[in-house]
Amino acid sequence: MTQAADLIDDTRIASRDAALAARTLVLKSREFRKGREDGWRELEGLVERVERRGVYALTIDELERLPILYRAALSSLSVARTIALDRNLLLYLENLALRAYLAVYGPRADPIAGLCSFFLHDLPAAVRAARWHILIVTIALLAGVAAGFVLTVQDESWFTAFTPGEIAGGRGPASTAASLRDKELFAPWPGAVQAFGIFANVLFSHNTAVGLLCFGLGLAAGVPTLMLVIYQGLGLGAFIALHHDRGLTVDCLGWLSIHGTSELGALILLSAGGLVIADKLLFPGSYSRVENLALHGRQAALMAVGGVLMLFVAGILEGGFRQLVQSTPLRFAIGLTIGALWLAYYSLCGRRTRP
Amino acid sequence: MTHAPTTAAQELNHDSDAPVLAHERTTRFLEGTSKLRRHIVTPEGVPVPIEIANYGERLAAFVIDLTIWFLLTLAIYIPILTLVSRTGGTLIAISIALFIGFLVRNLYFIYFELAWRGATPGKRIVGLRVIDRNGGPLVASAVIARNLTREVEMFIPLGVLIQGHSDWEQLAIAAWVMFCLAIPAFTKDRMRGGDLIAGTIVISLPKVALLSDLVERTLRFTFTPAQLQAYGAFELQVLEELLRRPQSRDGMQVLDEVCDKICRKIGWTAPLPRQDVIAFLRDFYTAERAFLEREQLYGKARADKYAQQQPHA
Repeated sequence: MTQAADLIDDTRIASRDAALAARTLVLKSREFRKGREDGWRELEGLVERVERRGVYALTIDELERLPILYRAALSSLSVARTIALDRNLLLYLENLALRAYLAVYGPRADPIAGLCSFFLHDLPAAVRAARWHILIVTIALLAGVAAGFVLTVQDESWFTAFTPGEIAGGRGPASTAASLRDKELFAPWPGAVQAFGIFANVLFSHNTAVGLLCFGLGLAAGVPTLMLVIYQGLGLGAFIALHHDRGLTVDCLGWLSIHGTSELGALILLSAGGLVIADKLLFPGSYSRVENLALHGRQAALMAVGGVLMLFVAGILEGGFRQLVQSTPLRFAIGLTIGALWLAYYSLCGRRTRP
Repeated sequence: MTHAPTTAAQELNHDSDAPVLAHERTTRFLEGTSKLRRHIVTPEGVPVPIEIANYGERLAAFVIDLTIWFLLTLAIYIPILTLVSRTGGTLIAISIALFIGFLVRNLYFIYFELAWRGATPGKRIVGLRVIDRNGGPLVASAVIARNLTREVEMFIPLGVLIQGHSDWEQLAIAAWVMFCLAIPAFTKDRMRGGDLIAGTIVISLPKVALLSDLVERTLRFTFTPAQLQAYGAFELQVLEELLRRPQSRDGMQVLDEVCDKICRKIGWTAPLPRQDVIAFLRDFYTAERAFLEREQLYGKARADKYAQQQPHA
């Protein structure tokens, strides 16, 4: 208040010409504006250029001026709020302060550096933070696989119950060992264009839909997520059992492993992301549920991104390599190497704090 | 000092509906209450009002961005299509189109929101910006998260719907998309899923021009303090708005009526020819503003004409 009082002595009302009864008013707010307007205009010009072409459009001198002018504008705004009733002036200063604030405190990193830090640090860190959720989902998936395998080995009619017709793709209790081996596991490579088609199609495939559902259903407290994961495990177990009965266990696992380490990893990551959402909703701590989700939601989103990334890799492997590599040991080698790389990426990348 | 903004941190999370400053009340009166206003606090501790973008603005920006995206995708896709059409089938062509669309879309949104400080071309045209909801800097991971979430919210599910799967999947996915589209209506600051997750909000940021001061240097009409006490800051700023509007016949009529009302209220008896109305109103504005600003400095701010009369010292 004392600062404001310094600025303002009385508004002087002086009569100049008694005959005309004209009066000259000196308004503090107008004198205030007169003294600072040049600075505001200069800042406005700089901000306009930053908005249009980024900070790189400014020279070194202008870059040094920017924060000084910005703080001066903030101070002007604070003073104007106490001494001025000119609404346009106040709106202008608020607008200018906000735009300058966004120019001064805008995104620091350039897009490339941003992407690098995202993939090298943020994403693996988020996945590491959810290790317990990942463990739960993995156990659920393995339990499903075991149950599906045991049931189908005893009675092959379970296969049709666990696997929808379109996914089974002609496989079933009626399939012979030869047809499974020659038409499915070791079918010839369809050619580059078809292979790229399979890869490009990955985003819109059944597995992607299931993965996204697992993630989204986290909003329903996570129980449907786990049910879906178990159901996927049942289908997988039944699939292995079908091949097991025909003496193709190893070949089948090799065929699955080449893209399965990525695809199942994606399913696990997306489902674990769903569980993170469920976790934040069910146990909000001292926040409201929505607030808590907003606070921690970035982690879940990062996991979804990681899942989609893995689906892409799975698509490349499924379309490009699975039928190109016709030897089971080589398939195992590729699949397990990729799986190990995923594990290393998520568990080791970006552990050191950034400079 | 009753008009001084309250503590910054409280302001953000527990924004009351009551306007903080006199001119904000005037703005609310003139522009209606449909606009959502909040405050963010700069690291320097100054609360600055922001306006949450409404659905129409966001839709417009999104449609512009989608159009640009579509044209870009087409430009990349057509050469590839001519290559593929010789060997592949329709399904593959569609798959490749969707895939290129996916890549272009995400790189487009993420690149521009980072490089143009929270604005894609569509947002810039409409005048929208993405900001951190707590007033901090907008970090790269937030931008990436909010855009990739859009894929999970909408585009990938729509792609799955187009491809067609079993009925229960279709139904579940359609429900998911509808749910995601409805999220902004139920969140406090019209945040969609991606905003919620990345901790961002989308604000409307039209440029405000600094207009010339309405204050007159010399006054032809003089007013007594008793006359000036008839009004407060709210009426003063409404009068400012009326005087700033471009002159028109309707506007002139409004000014005439306002002038009559003021004359009656302050007991102005001297004759006032019609051509002097604007000069009179500007003089009254000047005198009233000088009076009210001085009163405010002495801690006797008058919010409006209903404020309690204080004996003039």
